[in-house]
Amino acid sequence: MADTEARAGRSWIFSLWPTSLGARTLLTLLLGLALVQGAGLTIHALDRVELQHESELRNIGIRAMGIYRSVVATSVAERPAALKEIDLGPGATASLTDSPPLDPAELTPQPLTAIIRANMAQVPVRAPNHPRDIIMRGIPWDGSVTIGYRFPDSGWLILQMPVPPSRPWHSPTFLLAFVLMTLAAAALSFWAVRRLTGPVATLAAAAERLGRDVNAAPLPEDGPDEVARAAVAFNTMASRIRRFVQDRTFLLSAIGHDLRTPITRLKLRAEFIDDDELRDKFLADLDELDTMVSATLAFGRDTADAEPAVALDLSSLLRTILDETADARPESAEYLEFDGAEHLTLRGRSVALKRAFSNLIGNAVKYGGSARVKLVPPANGMVAITVEDDGPGVPPDQLERVFDPFYRVEDSRNRETGGTGLGLPIARNIFRAHGGDVTLGNRAEGGARATVTLPA
Amino acid sequence: MPHILVIDDDREIRDLLARFLERNRFRVTAVRDGREARRAWPNGNYQLVVLDLMLPGEGGLEVARWLRSQGDIPIVMLTAMGEETDRIIGLELGADDYVPKPFNPRELLARIRAVLRRTTERTEKKLEPAAKSVRFNGWILEPARRRLLNPDAVEVALTGGEYDLLVALVERANRVLTRDMLLDLLRGRQAGPFDRAIDVAISRLRRKLEDDGRHAQLIKTVRGGGYVLAAEIERT
Repeated sequence: MADTEARAGRSWIFSLWPTSLGARTLLTLLLGLALVQGAGLTIHALDRVELQHESELRNIGIRAMGIYRSVVATSVAERPAALKEIDLGPGATASLTDSPPLDPAELTPQPLTAIIRANMAQVPVRAPNHPRDIIMRGIPWDGSVTIGYRFPDSGWLILQMPVPPSRPWHSPTFLLAFVLMTLAAAALSFWAVRRLTGPVATLAAAAERLGRDVNAAPLPEDGPDEVARAAVAFNTMASRIRRFVQDRTFLLSAIGHDLRTPITRLKLRAEFIDDDELRDKFLADLDELDTMVSATLAFGRDTADAEPAVALDLSSLLRTILDETADARPESAEYLEFDGAEHLTLRGRSVALKRAFSNLIGNAVKYGGSARVKLVPPANGMVAITVEDDGPGVPPDQLERVFDPFYRVEDSRNRETGGTGLGLPIARNIFRAHGGDVTLGNRAEGGARATVTLPA
Repeated sequence: MPHILVIDDDREIRDLLARFLERNRFRVTAVRDGREARRAWPNGNYQLVVLDLMLPGEGGLEVARWLRSQGDIPIVMLTAMGEETDRIIGLELGADDYVPKPFNPRELLARIRAVLRRTTERTEKKLEPAAKSVRFNGWILEPARRRLLNPDAVEVALTGGEYDLLVALVERANRVLTRDMLLDLLRGRQAGPFDRAIDVAISRLRRKLEDDGRHAQLIKTVRGGGYVLAAEIERT
C-alpha cells in the first residue's frame, strides 16, 4: 500500500519531468541556477544581517556609555533633571531606580554583551565615575536591549535601547539587480540549450523529409564536431538510399521498356487473327499483361516520382474518379456516391493522388459492387476520406496484409477479379509520401471501409 | 486515301502497324528514324504522322520539332507508358494527340481518325499556334498538361470527356454548338456511350466550373439543343 503510494508519488513527479531533450537540459540548468543563486543569496543575506547587527550593537554601546557619562557627572539630586535634557536618540527610554532592575538569571548572551562592553570602552569616563556594575538583558533579535549602570555613589541608570531589525539587503535595487541577473542567466541558458539541441531537431526533420522524398536536400555539414559528423553520416545514408531507389527504379523502367515493345507487337499481331473470339481473348490477355506491367512500374516508380505538388481541389478529384468509374461501368453508376464539401483545396501530386484514389474506388466497385466516398472536413490539420462498399469485406487477419505487394485475399486469387495485388500498396505508398496513410477495416453493417488521411 | 507517315525504330512494329493501317484504308509509308523521314518527306504529301518518341539517335522530340517546321501536319505521338514529362513536352511541341505504348491498335486508329477529322476543320479556318494556356473568366486551361486551374490557381480535376468537351467549347467560344456538333467533335476520343452523355458531361462541367445550372452564366444552354461558352478568351 505504502509502496504503491510512493510509486504514485514518484510517477506524479516524473510526469512533471519534460520529455524533450531541450526542455530537460534547460530544466536541469535552471534548477542548478536557482540552487546556486538561492544559496548565494542566503549566504550573502546572513552575512549582511550579522554585520549590520554587530554595528548596531556597537552603536548602542557607545550611545549608552555617552548617556551614562553625562548623567554620572551630576550629583544624585540633579540626575533626574539632567536625564531629561539628554537627547536619548530615537526609540530609547531611560529611568533612574534605586535597586537593580534586572533578574540576573535573564542575562544576555555573552557575545552580545561583549560587543556592547567593548565599545563602551571607547567612551572615556574618569576613574571615580566608573560604574560599579553594568548588567544587560536582551536577546539579539527581539528589538531592544536593556542596560543597567550602577552609579558609584548610589542608584541605577536603566536604559532601554532599540535594536533596529536588520535588513538582509540594503538597497531596494539590490533585489532588482539580482532578479535581472538571474533572468539574464536563464535567458542565456535557454539560448544555449536551444542552440545545442537544435541540430537534433534538424536531424529528425531531415529524416522525416527523407522518408517522404528521397531527393530531399542534404543536411548542412557544419556546426560542432559531433553535429557535423552526424550530418555527414546522415547524408551518406541518404545518398545510399537514393542510389538504391534509383537502381530499383531504373531496373523497373528497363524491364517495363523492354516489355513494351513485345506487347505492342503482340497487340498488333492479334489484329490479324481472323477468328473474332480468339482475337478478343488474345487482346484481353494482352491488356491484362499490360495492366500488370503498368502497375509494377507504377509501384516501382512512385517513390522516386518527380511530379510536383500543386494546389488541387480534392472534392473535384474524387468526383471525377467516380464519374469516370460510372462512365466505364455504367451498370454500377447508381451505386457510386459522393458525400462531402463541394470544394476542398489541399496541396498534393494530382496524378499520384488520382491513381491512389482510383485504386481504392476501383477495389470497392470490383469487390463490393459499390463505392460511397465520404470526405470529412479537416480536423487537427488532417482530412479524412472514407471509401465504403457493400461487399463481403476482408477477413480481419488480412486487413493489414493486403497492403503487402502482390498479396491477394485468398478467394480472389483467380484472375477473374484478382487484379495485380499492387493497387493497395501503390495507394499506401502515395498517401504516405503525402504525409498521410490509408487503412482498411470492416463495417459493422458489412462491407469494407478504406480510411485515408491526408494533411489538409 | 489519307497518307500516313509512321516513324518507329522497331521494324516489326513498323511493318505490323503499316499493314494494320493499310487494312483500315490508309496509305502508309513507314520509316525507322528522322533521317529516313526527311528523305521520305518530299515525295509524300502526308496527312498525318505517327511518331515514336523513343527514337534512337536524334530522338522523337527533335523529329517533332523538324516536322513542325515543315508545316502544319498533325502528329500523333507514341509515348512511353506514363512518362508524364515526355507527354507534356510532346504536347507543348504541338503534337495533336498521344497514345501510350503498348497501345491498343484500335484505339490508335480511333485517335488517328479523330485527329484527321479535327484538322480538316482546322485547316478551313486559320490555324492558331498551340497556346500554352487559355484563360477564360479567370479560369485557366493548360492544354499541354490537360489540366484546369480555378481563379485561385487550384487544380480542378476533369474526366477525359469533360476535358475534351471543355476544349471544344473554349476553342469555339461564343459560338453556339449543337449537340450533334459536339458529338461529332468528340467522337473517336470517347469510347463510352457519349450520345446521351453530352448533357450529363455539361452538367458535371458546370458544377466544376461553379456555374449554377439553373442560371448558367458561363456555359449557356441555347434553346433548340445547343450550348455556348460565353467568355472572353485570352491565349498566352
